[in-house]
Parts: sequence; structure tokens; C-alpha cells
Amino acid sequence: MAARPRPSSDEAREALRDAMARLAAGDQSALEEIYRATRVKLFGITLRILGDRKEAEDALQDVYVNLWQRADRYDPTRASPIAWLSAFARNRAIDRLRTGKVRGGAVPVEEAAPLPDERPLADALLIDAQQAAQIHKCLGALDTRTQGHIRAAFFEGKTYAQLAESADVPLGTMKSWIRRGLQRLRACLEASEAS
Amino acid sequence: MSGPENTPDDGVKRDDPMIAAEWALGLLEGEELLAARGKAATDPDFAWRKQWWDDWFAPLTDAIPGAEPSDHVWQGIAARVATQAAAQTSAAPHAPAPNVVALKAEVRRWRWVAGLTSAAAAVALALFFSAPGRSPGEAPPAQLAAAAPMVATVPVGESGLRLDVTYIPESQRMVVGAIGLTADGVHDHELWLVPADGTPLQSLGVVAPGEVRSMELPQTVTAKLGEGASLVLTREPIGGKPEGKDAGPVVAKGAFTRI
Repeated sequence: MAARPRPSSDEAREALRDAMARLAAGDQSALEEIYRATRVKLFGITLRILGDRKEAEDALQDVYVNLWQRADRYDPTRASPIAWLSAFARNRAIDRLRTGKVRGGAVPVEEAAPLPDERPLADALLIDAQQAAQIHKCLGALDTRTQGHIRAAFFEGKTYAQLAESADVPLGTMKSWIRRGLQRLRACLEASEAS
Repeated sequence: MSGPENTPDDGVKRDDPMIAAEWALGLLEGEELLAARGKAATDPDFAWRKQWWDDWFAPLTDAIPGAEPSDHVWQGIAARVATQAAAQTSAAPHAPAPNVVALKAEVRRWRWVAGLTSAAAAVALALFFSAPGRSPGEAPPAQLAAAAPMVATVPVGESGLRLDVTYIPESQRMVVGAIGLTADGVHDHELWLVPADGTPLQSLGVVAPGEVRSMELPQTVTAKLGEGASLVLTREPIGGKPEGKDAGPVVAKGAFTRI
């Protein structure tokens, strides 16, 4: 796809891990490095959840300011840095959605800003392929309906009430569907960890 | 629709791992969200499970197309970081190295105090840093102590069931989560504050089994609600302790800790 060479996935991940470690040690300049490497992915996430550029940019600011404030939260022995940051960004966006007045919703494709050519490490910073394959496999094993609702919750930040309304079923029914789905998802993921 | 969550036809037990999954997916709202955060601060298993789900869900974000934020976003971040760093430096002139180091020490202290996981520290910090109107020059640790939520866990016997109580000093609100509890139809359980100064117990009301409830506390109660204050749960007739009678037997206790 790209004409010029890019850092490999491993290199990009190591560079990011290193920057996170330096930030945790108090090196403020590492924050800018982390921002350059991850902003496109993380902004994609906050924009998707919040559905409003201004809100998504505010959320993005919060993400990095918070990161600076508590960089040592990240445990390098656990998730890959980009996986951790992605979850962090999504959690912040959801928090904003839940506590604020933001309406939220998926962003129409045309609203998403075009990517600059530099596209810093974006492709190289995909999350661990093996782990990705497993969650997709386990999600895929659920019935289509449940899968759809879980995806809508994840990607659009929908609440139980919103999901129930759009599916035109009672709230309790939606809760049961999703909880059953989550239970099966957990069993599937745990089975993959055990093997 | 507001009935107990664990109806038999549900077919799914809404245990802690399930609540962690709902939280990670972003389904929790309002009081339940607050209760989950409070719980993560005191319950390493719960915090671990939330992180477990986060880790597993994270790769799904690869399907979201990236987008370029405006240039002013970085400028805003840099400005906020600089302002906060300056505020911390001026507030702690004796600190050997400014801001980050002091802050990290603070985080470590919290972790040590409550045996917290990093997720818990995150919650505490999130609450702290979202406190509005912090002006430069105010000493962060003191303010932090004032703003930090207090949590108490009240395990009920050997049952594995527990109450999760979170108190947010700023809002004078207390959230009592009794999600695992079920009503027996004969008794109610009443929650009491035991002030650290030995003054009489104050009722915090009857616990609603299977629910998360939030209440605003009167000043007479919040005045006694400091570190070291504890909670007891008594078994009472339906409706709570009858006027003029002694309280029923204590079935569970717990103490507040600042996070």
C-alpha cells in the first residue's frame, strides 16, 4: 500500500513502549512523541464514539493530559501500549458520553477528516494480530443478532436502553441477550487462554 | 423494568465478571457506573476483570478508521500540561523534581494505602483531576484528600456477598450497591454509620437488595464521615429499625478508606 518504508509493527510498538516508559519516568517530551504516534488512531476512536468533532477533540485532549498525569499506570507486561491506549481513549469517550450532554452516535464516513500522508505509524500500530483474531472468532461464534448488539455497544457507545429501543424489544430482553452473549464470549476467550 | 436484575428467566447470573464486562463494553450508566468505579478501587479481582475485558476488546478498535485531529489539540494538551506542571511546582516548592515525580509518589501512596491496582489509581486520579476550578497555588495533596472518594466494602458473612459503598465528599452523595443481595421477604437490612469519635450510630437507611442506590447525605452525617468511620449492617424487620426499639443483630461490618 505504501510507497515508502515504514517501521515494522514490532519496532513501532517498541518505540511506543519506550516513550511510555520515559513519560512514566518524568520525561515530558515523551508525551509529544506518543501523541504523534497515536493521535490518528485514538482520535478515530473518540470521534467514532462521540460523533462530534469538537467533543472528540476535547476527549482526545483529556486522554493525553490524563496520560501525562498518570503514565505509570501502564503496565508494559500486560497489554501492548497501543491496545492499552485504545481502551483508555474509548473509556474516556464513553465516560464523556455518559456524563455529558453529548448525543453521540456513529460518525458518517464523510465527516471523518482525511488522513495526512505521513500517517504516523498508524498501520504499524495495529493491535496484536493473534489477540485480534481470537476476539473476532469468539464474537463471530455468537448468533448474529447478539453479535450486532454487542458491536453497536462497543462501536457506537449505545446503552441498553438505546439498543432495546432500536431493536424494539423490552429492556429486560435486551439485557438478557447481551448478558448471555457476554457470558459465552467470556467462556470462549477463557478457553483460548487456557489452550 | 426496574425489578431485580437476576430474575430466574434471565438465565444469566449478573456476577462481578459480568458487571465488569458490561462496564468495559460501556453499558453501565449513572449510579451503576459510579458503583463499578468505586468497586474497582477496592476490589483487585474486579479491577483485574475490567482490565481483562478491556484488553480483549481493544483489538476491535482496529476496525475504526483513524482520523486526524486539528492542530490546536496538541497545543491545548501542551498548554494544560504546562499549566498543571507550574501549579504543582509552585504548590510543592520543596519537591526535588517537579510535577510528575511528586504525582507519581502520590499515586504510589494511594496504591499502597488501599492495596489498589493501577485501575483504581486511575479512578482516583480521574476524579481528582476532573475536580473543577483548581487554581494554581493550592496544595494538591490537601485538596486531593478533600476530593478523593471514600469507599467501604461490607462483606456479608461467608456468603461472598457484599455491599459496596462509595462516598463522594464533594457531592455529599453516597452510593450503596447491593447487587448480589436478595430480599428474603421477612427482613430488611439497615446500614449504620459508626463515627470514629465514638458518638452514636447514625442510620444511613435500609438497603435495597439487588439495587444500586444513591443518596444525598445530610450535613449531620457527612460531618462524621471521615477516614476511620465504619459501617455496620443490622438485620431489622421490614421497613427498618422500629422507632423506640433497639437495633437488630449486626450481620456485617466494614470501614471507609480514602482512595
